[in-house]
Amino acid sequence: MTPWDGTGLPPAAQARVDRARSSGVRSSLLSVPGHVGIESCGFEPVGEVMGCIVEYIGFQGYGGCGWYGAYGAPGAWGGGYAAPPTVTSGSGSGWAGFAPYVNALYHGWDTALHRMLTEARALGADGVVGVSLTEQHLGTGNREFVALGTAVRSTGATHVSRPFTTTLAGQDVAKLVHSGWMPAAIIVGISVAIRHDDYRTFAAQRAWAANVEVDGYTELVTAVRADARRQLERRTAHSGAEGAILDSPVRLSVHELEAGESHRDHVAESSVLASAIVRFHRAETLPPTPTMVLSLRGGGATIRRRTAR
Amino acid sequence: MTDQEREAVGIPEDAMRRLAEMRPGSPGALFTSDLSVNEFLLVREAGFRPLGLVLGSSIYHVGLQIGRWSQNMELDKLSQAMYHARELAMTRMEAEADALGADGIVGVRLEIEFKEFGNDLAEFVAVGTAVKADEAGSWRNDEGKPFTSDLSGQDFWTLVQAGYAPLGMVMGSCVYHIAHQRGFAALSNVGRNVEIPQFTEALYDARELAMSRMQAEAEQLHAEGIVGVQLLSLAHRWGGHTTEFFAIGTAVRPLRADHTIATPQLVLPLTD
Repeated sequence: MTPWDGTGLPPAAQARVDRARSSGVRSSLLSVPGHVGIESCGFEPVGEVMGCIVEYIGFQGYGGCGWYGAYGAPGAWGGGYAAPPTVTSGSGSGWAGFAPYVNALYHGWDTALHRMLTEARALGADGVVGVSLTEQHLGTGNREFVALGTAVRSTGATHVSRPFTTTLAGQDVAKLVHSGWMPAAIIVGISVAIRHDDYRTFAAQRAWAANVEVDGYTELVTAVRADARRQLERRTAHSGAEGAILDSPVRLSVHELEAGESHRDHVAESSVLASAIVRFHRAETLPPTPTMVLSLRGGGATIRRRTAR
Repeated sequence: MTDQEREAVGIPEDAMRRLAEMRPGSPGALFTSDLSVNEFLLVREAGFRPLGLVLGSSIYHVGLQIGRWSQNMELDKLSQAMYHARELAMTRMEAEADALGADGIVGVRLEIEFKEFGNDLAEFVAVGTAVKADEAGSWRNDEGKPFTSDLSGQDFWTLVQAGYAPLGMVMGSCVYHIAHQRGFAALSNVGRNVEIPQFTEALYDARELAMSRMQAEAEQLHAEGIVGVQLLSLAHRWGGHTTEFFAIGTAVRPLRADHTIATPQLVLPLTD
């Protein structure tokens, strides 16, 4: 048997999808309220679908000091001390900062979503709801990206060739559809930035007893988040959607990088995951007026509080 | 707000470019929002459109101050640090919302994360969704700034229904060192069930300070009251005897004289 060459679906997945299509059994990852919600807005589940890729990320981009990491970013050379020392992956050409690493992450998510959609299309689905995206480090530079969701098909006459995807649960999809909005696509925005540790990061910490903002690091995290959000917007706009609802807060992590002999720089990675939505009524529609209800459910407060910390 | 003022509060160039792209009404304008679907729909029902996710951040070096071992005292240097850094993050978030032409920011969350790199470094983040009212009205507060609110979309809807408008988030912080008991005093309590008045008093003092600072902020905004107050004890990284008491809530003003809402209907949900 020849090994799978990476095109289309792996044989095992193809066999499962073919079997699901020929048998009448419908499987679904939806909860009961999610299932009822999906049915209430004219869809029926046709099966759970998955897309997966294991990717080896061996080249992250220029791994050196942030001062020179601007390679490929416009105006980085010869800028002297006036050059901005924070380099984001989205700031220049495909080689700026950690752009190759970020492109590898995008490739991982895009491929996982694409394979999930291939399964969904094979089942005749019009969309995939309640998608979860998970990432696992398998060691030695290997990373697994998985997209898992429930394919749904419209009970109406119109079908689409490119199914929609959303991270939203069945209930949320139902509420949106009843209010005139339709989920369009899952959008990921990722950015990595590196900043050279210089007087603006050292000086603030040297005065060990002072209350002072470390503006060099503030600049690093602000730039990386701004870039991730800009990537999200660019991709949302490119998908033709009108808005994006974030699935989770904007994620951020910062780590040290030993760039050279006794010199450390800081690298920040930020990612944001959202569901893009489009309005399908021509006219502006307001959601149905909510009714005041008092839930007879035990156990104290049921309203979700946003906690401030 | 002029460009210079924006520069002063430190919104970076990329953030401004991003905001410029997002000004509603221009072709290709789209919004981003970290509201849940329920919140998104309720905020729209209340007559507001989300404009975009707004965020302010500050990485702050929190100074060092040690309390006297046997004394109850406020560590004012730390109180100031915690307040100032949050204020920086909030002001930057407000500046982003202002650049979008927002009337207010809903669902604001304030987060603090002490970083693994560097000593005593913490990141203070304020994040929320900027909104604009469909009908023109005076939603901004007395200072001409967009209102801010840490209420969820559900609470925001209910508040507006009841005839109130949020003015701004108000907060008070107090980092307090609680005295250690002297050996003799501690020994005399062994085997007895007693109140330790100096501990009780310390916790009272600290909380009252935090709450009265929050109240003073609300008075400055000419608020009628503060809703959704949370009083948090945050240990952060200063050991068992040094705690930050943090009071935060949303100051509100009345929109009309009566504040009646529809009688709620009782429901028995079929979920757990």
